[in-house]
Amino acid sequence: MSQYTVIQRLLFSPLVALAIVSCGNPASAQVQDPLAYAQARIVKIFGAGGMKNLHAYSTGFLVSPEGHVATIWSHVLDSDEVTAVLSDGRKFTANVVGAEPRMDVAVIKLTGDVKDLPFFELNDAKSASVGARILGLSNMFKVATGDEPVSVLHGVIAAKTKLTTRRGAFQTPYEGDVYIVDAITNNPGAGGGVLMSLDGKLLGMIGKELRNAASNTWVNYALPMTDLRDVIDQIIAGVYVAEKKPDEELAPERYNSLDFGVVMVPDVLFRTPAFVDRILPGSLAAKSGLVSGDLVLFVNGELVQSCRNLQSELGKLEGQDDLKLVVRRGKNLIEFEMRVPNKAN
Amino acid sequence: MPMALIITIPPHGSAFRQVRLVALMASLIAGGFADLPAADLKLSILEETAFKEAAARVDPSIVQIQTVGGLDRVGKVLTGTAPTTGVVVSEDGYVISSAFNFASKPASILVRLADGRQFSADLVATDRLRMVTLLKIEVKGLTVPVAAPKADFQVGQWSIAMGRTYDFKTPSLGVGIVSALDRIWGKAIQTDAKVSPINYGGPLVDIQGRVMGVLVPMSPRGNTEIAGVEWYDGGIGFAIPLVDIQATLDRMKAGVELKPGLMGVDLEGRDIYADKPVVSRVRAESPAEQAGLKKGDLFTEIDGKKVVNQSQIKQVLGAKYAGDSVKVVVSREGKSIPAELKLVDKLVAFEAGFLGILPDRLATADEKGGVVVRYIYAKSPAETAGLKVGDRITKFNDATELSIDKLTDIVARVDPGDPASLTFEREGKASTVNVKLASVPDAVPATLSSVAITPGEKKDDGPKVGRFSRKIPGHDNEFWAYVPEDYNPDHEYGLMVWLHPNSDTMEATIIKNWRPICDLRGLIVLAPKAEKLGGWTLSESQAITDSIKKFQEDYSIDDRRIFLHAYSSGGTMAYHTAFKERELIRGLAIVSSALRTQPPDNTPLYRMQILLNCGDKDDAFRTVQATAAGLKRLKFPITNMIGKGRAHAYAPANELDEIARWVDSLDRI
Repeated sequence: MSQYTVIQRLLFSPLVALAIVSCGNPASAQVQDPLAYAQARIVKIFGAGGMKNLHAYSTGFLVSPEGHVATIWSHVLDSDEVTAVLSDGRKFTANVVGAEPRMDVAVIKLTGDVKDLPFFELNDAKSASVGARILGLSNMFKVATGDEPVSVLHGVIAAKTKLTTRRGAFQTPYEGDVYIVDAITNNPGAGGGVLMSLDGKLLGMIGKELRNAASNTWVNYALPMTDLRDVIDQIIAGVYVAEKKPDEELAPERYNSLDFGVVMVPDVLFRTPAFVDRILPGSLAAKSGLVSGDLVLFVNGELVQSCRNLQSELGKLEGQDDLKLVVRRGKNLIEFEMRVPNKAN
Repeated sequence: MPMALIITIPPHGSAFRQVRLVALMASLIAGGFADLPAADLKLSILEETAFKEAAARVDPSIVQIQTVGGLDRVGKVLTGTAPTTGVVVSEDGYVISSAFNFASKPASILVRLADGRQFSADLVATDRLRMVTLLKIEVKGLTVPVAAPKADFQVGQWSIAMGRTYDFKTPSLGVGIVSALDRIWGKAIQTDAKVSPINYGGPLVDIQGRVMGVLVPMSPRGNTEIAGVEWYDGGIGFAIPLVDIQATLDRMKAGVELKPGLMGVDLEGRDIYADKPVVSRVRAESPAEQAGLKKGDLFTEIDGKKVVNQSQIKQVLGAKYAGDSVKVVVSREGKSIPAELKLVDKLVAFEAGFLGILPDRLATADEKGGVVVRYIYAKSPAETAGLKVGDRITKFNDATELSIDKLTDIVARVDPGDPASLTFEREGKASTVNVKLASVPDAVPATLSSVAITPGEKKDDGPKVGRFSRKIPGHDNEFWAYVPEDYNPDHEYGLMVWLHPNSDTMEATIIKNWRPICDLRGLIVLAPKAEKLGGWTLSESQAITDSIKKFQEDYSIDDRRIFLHAYSSGGTMAYHTAFKERELIRGLAIVSSALRTQPPDNTPLYRMQILLNCGDKDDAFRTVQATAAGLKRLKFPITNMIGKGRAHAYAPANELDEIARWVDSLDRI
């Protein structure tokens, strides 16, 4: 497809007016026309799925001239072979080369005699700060077929944050920072799409459709390319070995409040606040100065919103850990520190 | 590249011009005017810098709020446990936030300042009109942000929505433009920046780093803390202007709950955009009554603004609090009369007037016009005035061309105790009488003969009759139904919607008791089933509503006699559905179940008649009596039946006969 058509199509959308500004920017030495450059490197992926209303399509981007495509690790790749459609409409079958489910990334390779394809140079990827303008490219809703260019959205980086910081709020294993964007990028099929800066630098890979259980909202996020590129390179080189992490016990119950001499109020509601009912005389808590009626708010910096939260935080402690509690007494917040006692097994 | 010239970045405010100037200067330094695309790239980069700088300016005034305890859902909406956001409004520890963030009624509120210090906060007051909540922490020397004056607000200008929920260090930001001003009846700025629980309570900031408003969920249809949350991230977000909040800050600091202000008039008609603002009723003891407003007055001005329809009044009044004053001019008999009203937060409840007749449904449907009397209530205004069965009411006060609906509406809008004149025809002769309207009686007529229904023709392709079960189209719920075998579409049928208690459809009991009533009085039973028989979920009210609408399409249903009937735990669903679907449902007949939520106000717009039935040995007896008393205080027409000696059980046959007579008189006027 010619550059002209891409721009012509996009011109009709005020959303990408900003992108066009940068299209004409001669200062960007490597990329004359960031959108056309990116569109040529984006791949529409069709695969397994389709069961239980799961969509069977996603997006990817070329990362080698031989047809390696980085994409999101999802059920779309569950079958042995998937179909990849390039921006010029050519259709290839592709196999999964490898994946790192913990980073939600996979690499597939186009089969057959493939060479000299345009690709993203991962080393050119950069990072961006909150407020930076971005473009998101993906085949959301499978709206583009054949040689049609994928959809472009614009927005800014709304936040850079970890998705896992809040206990159980997100169902994702990725532990690093992600970009949250203020555009509605994470739609069906958008996973594996590209987040880039106005001057055409790769910033991230658009993530899955993900719900934030703590605020009951959908999250639009992308995984930073600077964190993904080594993994992608290693998967391509066939040298990637998934880092073995010891499986963490899901909900350890090593300690509870009684181990410190604290009797909590009866846990009757889903969110019963963590009020201290009474303190056992002579206990660790009594020596520290906790009293009946204190409301425990933080355990080692983690907010506890209920009795249940409190017990699960205490459950994670180990002998000789420092335990720092913040309680509300009247209008004041008071901090207590104590050493976790060893427990006879 | 000339195409770059078409770029029209929305803002036109002074901020934009500033940035643009800087951009041009920058491009001069960079290489001259000729290089326009470079200038425009610089412009967009400068704008990006401006977003970040504006955000940085407000950053110290944005606090994070955490809550502990509280409800896990409000209505159907799950309340979040995530942190939320607030904005400092005074140096000495006051923080404003969205009322949404406290809808769960948390046991404890924590505020964390931008510098990391943490405080326990008190909830001082909530503004129930603008849905913002004021918090207080014990600290001094907070950074108060600069408020953008309203004169600078412009549709199209940049607006940055900020929150402090994701990452404590750096507030989140979303960029958009101002989409509209004075939204939600004059209260809110509308923006296309992404607004959601992630930033409710946070500031909407202009490109100079001044706070335009505080982000809130809001909806033109609904006034709870959670109304409008369904629009989150939808390109339609709202912010309450900070200058408006500042104007009420002293009152809120004093702990005053701010409430919407009411005048106390009902207006004629239902279409607020098409209908003229003509007073149909002045509420007793209301500001309107004290100011001397009268039925028939036409509003021509409100607070100096000319008005020709009802929405323009709502636009002005929608932004006012109880205690505020409003100046109006009304036109009465060609004269302009000015008045000043001090608004109140509560009105004496609306009570419908009652004439004391049942309309003859079939005879009234003929071409002659007017409403034919089927039945006269004993000791009613109609009886006192000498009306008789068969009379045709042709005029009520000034209204002619009467239909049942029209007469019902006009009579309801006259206060009980007020006089009215009424013209009727008897044997071709017209007479006019004066009546004094009464309250709707609690008692059901002791006898009420049914309307004879001529059996319809049996048709193979006609709608299904008898007892049958189906699925509700578009839902997973099933229903069963009973339509009289001799169904005749020339008659209009009442529709009883039976909502079963948990774990028991009671199909056999209902069909046995109600089949004879249906056949006698022209009634159809529709019984949707909960998707999980164990119990209803409130969201299933949609399935119930859709099943009713389907029956309205398939059968000849009298819209005035659609009512919900429920026993025990089915009652919760019935109350919920009836008060949610007020345009559709006209009655509630509830056995052994109390209302546990705040009912809406009685209004002439949506008629609702309620029958409660409970045994005096029933566990629910006390709460059902409290329900009856509460609804009566709100002036809903209540029939309160007490089953002597009955424990928790469905109504026996003799009581059902009374309920049947109540059903047959749901169209009383």
